Amino acid sequence: MDARLTGIDRGQVLRYLGCRGAYDEALEEELLRWSETLRAEAEPRAVWKLFPLLPDFSLAGACFRLEGDAIRALLKDCDQVILMAATLGNSVERLIRRTQAVDMAGALILDACGSAAIENVCDNLCADLAAEFAPRYLTDRFSPGYGDMPLSQQRELFAALDVTRRIGVTLTDSGLMLPQKSVTALIGVSDRPQTLRPRGCAACGLHDTCAYRKDGKHCGTI
Amino acid sequence: MLQAAGLKTGELPELWNLSEPGKIAAVHRAYIEAGSRVIYANTFGVNRFKSARCGHSPAELVHAAVRCAKDAAGDLPVKVALDVGPLGQLLEPLGTLRFEEAYDVFREIMAAGEEAGADLAVIETMSDLYEVKAAVLAAKEHTKLPVWVTMTFEQSGRTFVGTTVASMALTLTGLGVDALGFNCSLGPKELLPLVRELRRWTDKPLILKPNAGLPDPATGAYHITPDEFARELVPALDLGVYILGGCCGTTPEFIRALNDALPETVPDAPAVPLQSGVCSGTRAVGFGGVHVIGERINPTGKKRFQQALREGDMGYIVERGVEQQDAGAEILDVNVGLPGIDEVELLPRVVKALQGVTDLPLMLDSSDPKALEAGLRVVSGKAIVNSVNGEQDVLDAVLPLCKKYGAAVVGLCMDRGGIPQTWRARVEIAERILNAALSYGIPKSDVLIDCLTLTVSAQQEQARETLRAVRCVTEELGLHTVLGVSNISFGLPAREQVTVSFLTQAMQAGLDLPIVNPNQRAVMDAVASFRVLSGEDMSAEAYIRRFADAAPAEASKPAASMSLADAVMRGLRDETAALTGKALETMGEMDVVNTLLIPALDRVGERYDKQEIFLPQLISAANAACEGFELIKRRIASRGGESVSKGRLVLATVHGDIHDIGKNIVRVVLENYGYTVIDLGRDVPAKEIVEAVRREHVKLVGLSALMTTTVVSMEETIRALREAGLDCRIMVGGAVLTPEYAAEIGADYYAKDARQSVEIARQVLG
Repeated sequence: MDARLTGIDRGQVLRYLGCRGAYDEALEEELLRWSETLRAEAEPRAVWKLFPLLPDFSLAGACFRLEGDAIRALLKDCDQVILMAATLGNSVERLIRRTQAVDMAGALILDACGSAAIENVCDNLCADLAAEFAPRYLTDRFSPGYGDMPLSQQRELFAALDVTRRIGVTLTDSGLMLPQKSVTALIGVSDRPQTLRPRGCAACGLHDTCAYRKDGKHCGTI
Repeated sequence: MLQAAGLKTGELPELWNLSEPGKIAAVHRAYIEAGSRVIYANTFGVNRFKSARCGHSPAELVHAAVRCAKDAAGDLPVKVALDVGPLGQLLEPLGTLRFEEAYDVFREIMAAGEEAGADLAVIETMSDLYEVKAAVLAAKEHTKLPVWVTMTFEQSGRTFVGTTVASMALTLTGLGVDALGFNCSLGPKELLPLVRELRRWTDKPLILKPNAGLPDPATGAYHITPDEFARELVPALDLGVYILGGCCGTTPEFIRALNDALPETVPDAPAVPLQSGVCSGTRAVGFGGVHVIGERINPTGKKRFQQALREGDMGYIVERGVEQQDAGAEILDVNVGLPGIDEVELLPRVVKALQGVTDLPLMLDSSDPKALEAGLRVVSGKAIVNSVNGEQDVLDAVLPLCKKYGAAVVGLCMDRGGIPQTWRARVEIAERILNAALSYGIPKSDVLIDCLTLTVSAQQEQARETLRAVRCVTEELGLHTVLGVSNISFGLPAREQVTVSFLTQAMQAGLDLPIVNPNQRAVMDAVASFRVLSGEDMSAEAYIRRFADAAPAEASKPAASMSLADAVMRGLRDETAALTGKALETMGEMDVVNTLLIPALDRVGERYDKQEIFLPQLISAANAACEGFELIKRRIASRGGESVSKGRLVLATVHGDIHDIGKNIVRVVLENYGYTVIDLGRDVPAKEIVEAVRREHVKLVGLSALMTTTVVSMEETIRALREAGLDCRIMVGGAVLTPEYAAEIGADYYAKDARQSVEIARQVLG
């Protein structure tokens, strides 16, 4: 199950760029150019590991007890949890920094492409995992820092999954990941499909400030 | 082993040195019984960051670990190594951990290790060569321990951070480690090709400690047996690997099998021709064949560059680096010497800034040994020092630095008597420099000779002397040569003609490291042609690629009807520059700024507000306007005037936050509106921001934070600024902020985007 980058979703990139309406051909060309550049440079890597989930929401064999109501609600029907981490690697980090020095507009597009690309890598991994674990069911991905799960739990996740050694992602003192285009997540494993699916605007942390909502749209529609 | 003894995933193994010393010693004993001659103390993860979370000092954990290992070793002929692993945080430029801090963390560990009685220091499982350099310097400057280094590579031949085998070998051989090699990463079979590559670049003893094959991605389990492991590892002996062992997935059984499989006598190291060169952390340039050194990072005769140096404008300087790399430079000369500039402070700052955006090896160009040392210390990779000459006191001041930091050195063929007029006398000085370098232990291949170019319009006969000297140094002394080429044509019309012709002749004479302006197309064309004729460019592949679609470039001439505003609006840089130039024929600089460039940007801003265009287009327009501002800045700088600035402000991404692209966009847009931005970077402590505001007397500070968790440190920064009683306004921005939230944490302004930050700057600074 290798990490795979298979595509960069154009709509997603436009959304990250804040494009909320018409845009011109020149921008379209730039999007294409930078997403090619990014794909050529990306070194996608991923790692995952399965842990039994104990009734007190700690993972068996690891020093990791999940905090927050949201993650506990998501995992209420699960008896196992997959920890996963994925990254585009330092080459992408370097490319974005270098581009910022000479072409800020390009760097911005590149950055947005990077965000869409790591999502794609995660989606592919999750699809592979779903196939691997069938007929059991997987929940949505949930990351430290979402909802009321403290970002500080990133450190426990990193230790349990040995993320730095396995795929080269590091944590800063403040708990942020480098390279920046990296994702960690928890996925529940259960015999039943996930019932609670906290998606849509109501569950979003940007509910009050979202520019799309102000326009009467939402971020899945452009 | 420890997990088998009950250690939990995620638990700090080093705590067992204190809580379970018996279990740790038992593991050591099992390895000694299996035949290990060197055992690593259980100190891999000890460092100040991790131990801060467990309540024990690094020294305490190191002492306990070494004691366990020494107890197990007893009187047996077994060496105890201090095991030093990665710090777990990424160093600058990609990360935020400063090189100096990493050095300090390692210093603490190394000193404790020696004090505890370790026999050697092993730095292992490293991905970042820069981090290794900090560790090696710490060991060498604070202990007398022998130093071994092993790094962890992927099958691609790179580490996670991008270090190549060649870069590792060149840098660590230069720094004088005692042995180097690989651990972890892969199985023995997969690592052998990398060992072969390593052997090409170093003659040091090699180390190999592979994993037990490749792990299962899901379980992390390893599959090969001890006997397979031993069988696959033994061929490494023929490549000069004398230190062998196992990493992940191996047990005492593997070591026993390996011991049984080793022959009685060790074969001689294979005689492989050694490849020399220089490198950054991620790119090596092997000597042999022509490699271009870019000369543009140099203030001599460049008013605009001088201004950038005086203002500490790193953006301008690093852009010159990227530009030269894009034009084909393979090494960058870095000269920041200017009267009134503190080179000792500035050179390392510029080196670090360049390393953030280009991966080219650097050539530090200074006559001040203190500045050279400050620069060499923070170089990632192996640099070149430019330069020494035949004067003994210069040699004695600079060569020890080259030796210590493992740098190559340029020797100028001159001495107290000036530049000799004959080729023979120049070669004599070259020989003297070579002998001095050898006496300091610098290998011959790291001595590069500059036979010196004199201006042909002033001393016509000297061109031939230089060429003859280059030939003789190359052929008789067997050294690589450097030559600043451009100087040849000074004072002549159509300079490029003479420069290119001289360059070609010099390359024919043996010059392989020309220092040129790579932005001159004809110069790089000449190099490309030469590489075909010399056979270096096999099948002319690179040449064909270079000229494949080389339709003669039309000089960009704006359509007659296009206005400056149109050019800015459409983000056309060249046209904007051309039209600004035209406007300057009839208008004053400030008039062009205030009546043309700024109004054009304003119109772009209005369209952005109306959502007719989006952020990438806004930035493109701002960048185009910047070309116009650049032209104006150059004009003003060239007559020695003050820079055009609409006012100064400080920008920073707050402490704990690393997401700085938003802040960088704000900087670019503000700069393109004519504001001078003092950019403090990312992860900036409140104290540093307060100091900068006080020192620079600015009236506006912009703070950015992306995460909810880091808005807290934004609030702390605002409080610190208020408590310092500084008369400045504060604007804040970032994804999770709202106008209400901004007011709540005490900011004066909330900027929802880069465009709004300009409006705020206008209100505050005018």
